[in-house]
Amino acid sequence: MGYKDEIVKSMDWLAAKNDTIFIGQSVSYSGNAIYNTLKSVPENKKIELPVIEELQMGLSTGMALEGYVPITCYPRFDFLILCCNQLVNHLDKIRFMSKGNMNPRVIIRTSIGAKKPLDGGVQHTQDHTEVFKNFMTEIDVVLLNEPEEILPVFKKAYQREDSKSTLIIEWGDYYNEK
Amino acid sequence: MNIPSYLTKVRDINLTKEDLLLFEEEVKNSYEDSKIVAPVHLSKNNEEQLIEIFQYVHPEDWVFSSWRNHYHALLHGADKNILMKDIVDGRSMSVNFVEPKFYSSSIVGGTIPIALGVANALKIKKSDKRVWCFIGDMTFETGIFYEAYKYKTNFDLPLQFVVEDNNLSTNTPTDETWGGVKRDIPDDVIYYKYERGYPHHGTGSWVLF
Repeated sequence: MGYKDEIVKSMDWLAAKNDTIFIGQSVSYSGNAIYNTLKSVPENKKIELPVIEELQMGLSTGMALEGYVPITCYPRFDFLILCCNQLVNHLDKIRFMSKGNMNPRVIIRTSIGAKKPLDGGVQHTQDHTEVFKNFMTEIDVVLLNEPEEILPVFKKAYQREDSKSTLIIEWGDYYNEK
Repeated sequence: MNIPSYLTKVRDINLTKEDLLLFEEEVKNSYEDSKIVAPVHLSKNNEEQLIEIFQYVHPEDWVFSSWRNHYHALLHGADKNILMKDIVDGRSMSVNFVEPKFYSSSIVGGTIPIALGVANALKIKKSDKRVWCFIGDMTFETGIFYEAYKYKTNFDLPLQFVVEDNNLSTNTPTDETWGGVKRDIPDDVIYYKYERGYPHHGTGSWVLF
């Protein structure tokens, strides 16, 4: 199976879990590549949000504190930057701040914007993977390079016993190339 | 102070104003004895307002607070001795408990989106519990409050905001920095004014560590 097909399979696997919920802009309405991987996810498992990146990350953390596993979707890495306060100052630090008593598990999806056939330009195609690996203390940062890596990464993010959150980065170009 | 009519009293508060003042006095003494090697943000002069408000907070509700959180934690039922130990251990700025459900943060506005998410989850679960989010008057003016308030209102989420107005953020006057005009106060936001009794952090005394 190809890169995009493996992502679709991973989303279907996550959608079958009772406690998951898919959050973000374009989870229910078309407009970006992530939407095309969620078409088979039931609508009652989705929350389409306004453009509120920071609020979205905190909302995801809050829902995770109440037992949900949000798959919170940011269509491009360039947009994820807008949620860094909630990501770095809260979700990444909450376990330490609560002496290990609060363990919200959030799965964060984002994508390095495609450059082919159209180049989205400098505000839509950046790869900040290494920056985010250095930026965070606890959140696991994983870049999906090969199709066969994809389902195991999403399964681990959902099942990991330490309950840590995972930032999973996709390559937009690989949707067509691999 | 306005209490919205949809709220009802759900518990008695056994702590008195004197109990609260005494707790902060103990923190003050520990801080001035160099036993606490981290900033502390002490409360004073809002005891009566908070004792009134917490009669409407169910013991199983979530409470979100800020860096100035000792009163909120105590009134929500946090164990006094554990709280004091956390403060002495340097955790005053981010006191957190699972029982009672209590989260605080030392980032302006940082609690608001998380409180919104908990409220969203409670609504989906059809829970009868509520989320309380205590913020200062500078936080009340931020964009993140605007977004969260609009979302919680339009989706009828069980999130109750309480604004504690001392007109100061650190030592910056909120009204002056916003050109002398503060935002309108919605009817469903509990709002009270008070005069800060301690400095922004510390006790006002020079401490040699």
